[in-house]
Amino acid sequence: MKPWARYLVCIALGLILGVGVATWQVRAGALGSGVAIGPWVSGTDLGTTDQSARTRAVVALRGLLALPAREARYYTATTDDAGRRLEGRCRYRVIGGTLPARWWSLTLYDPAGYLTGPGPYSVGSAILPPAEQARWTVLVAPDRQPGHWLPTAGQEHFDLTLRTYLPDNAGRTSPARDQLPSIRREACTGEEGA
Amino acid sequence: MIRTTIQAWRWPLLLGLIVAAIAWQATLRRTPYVLMSAAEKRLGKMGGVNQMAHGPLADSASRAVVRPSPDLAYSTCVFDLSNGPVTVTAAPVPARYWSLSVFDARTDVAFVRNNVESQGAPIRIVLIRDGQTAPPGTTAVLVPGGHGIALIRILVDDRARFAMVDQARRASCCGPVAP
Repeated sequence: MKPWARYLVCIALGLILGVGVATWQVRAGALGSGVAIGPWVSGTDLGTTDQSARTRAVVALRGLLALPAREARYYTATTDDAGRRLEGRCRYRVIGGTLPARWWSLTLYDPAGYLTGPGPYSVGSAILPPAEQARWTVLVAPDRQPGHWLPTAGQEHFDLTLRTYLPDNAGRTSPARDQLPSIRREACTGEEGA
Repeated sequence: MIRTTIQAWRWPLLLGLIVAAIAWQATLRRTPYVLMSAAEKRLGKMGGVNQMAHGPLADSASRAVVRPSPDLAYSTCVFDLSNGPVTVTAAPVPARYWSLSVFDARTDVAFVRNNVESQGAPIRIVLIRDGQTAPPGTTAVLVPGGHGIALIRILVDDRARFAMVDQARRASCCGPVAP
């Protein structure tokens, strides 16, 4: 092979490699993946000039127009407490308490980041009666559940996003694990004993 | 033979790695601009440029922006400062939370203020880019790149109250600064 052809081949491979790795990193990245708290991932630099090029690109794809931490903190879960991918055929018990923010809401999205099915799409502090504010339970399941229910709407997999608006300490510090909801898988259709 | 091959490919491979690193960074840095531009085009179809558009509550058909909140009513203004500064006004609404935020072409937040900070008063800003000035007495917000999206979020606790909120938010507006 002539020398110029070797350079040409390596430049082409370099371009493919560089673009490919960046694309993979952005597509595989989670919204605000800077902080992991149990199954939840979050970030403190969303929307700011401080965020890295990778974080900015992931946020543009996963959560365009996200607010900075002082206004809202976003926590996204793609797995349960045991680290298993959230599956639409399973029933999950999401248990939480008072969150360090003025108000919050929990929303179910399909893996592409869109709402799915006819709803309800979210459960938030605004609709909880005072007696439930300190300890609340949301059931995430394909079939209607008693109490607060988020339907998985036929999705094979799904994500949960917890938004906390006007967070304590202007969102600079992240809550402890026990301050964020737990996500426990209870049963799955098609599984023995389900 | 092996030594000769290594010597022949050493510099081309090094160049390839340098090209890969540059392409990697360039792709990461360019992605926000591309996705923001696409969002501006989608949202611009709803209400045009330098005009406020008031969207319905998000549902499973909503595709304008990824990960929409079903608890919020969104009003958007896709702005372009090529022809001069643009004024954005967020009018008070009967809701526990509302805010105005401005995102530049790179997706960074250039401005954000909520009803708690404004103590329920209207929020009025003038968007400018390098070389432009805002009228005296106004709150100027410098937007790198000269285009982007201004977004009003309003908490809708109860979907049955949306009609009332929707009527109130129509007082919010966006448009070129009056000469």
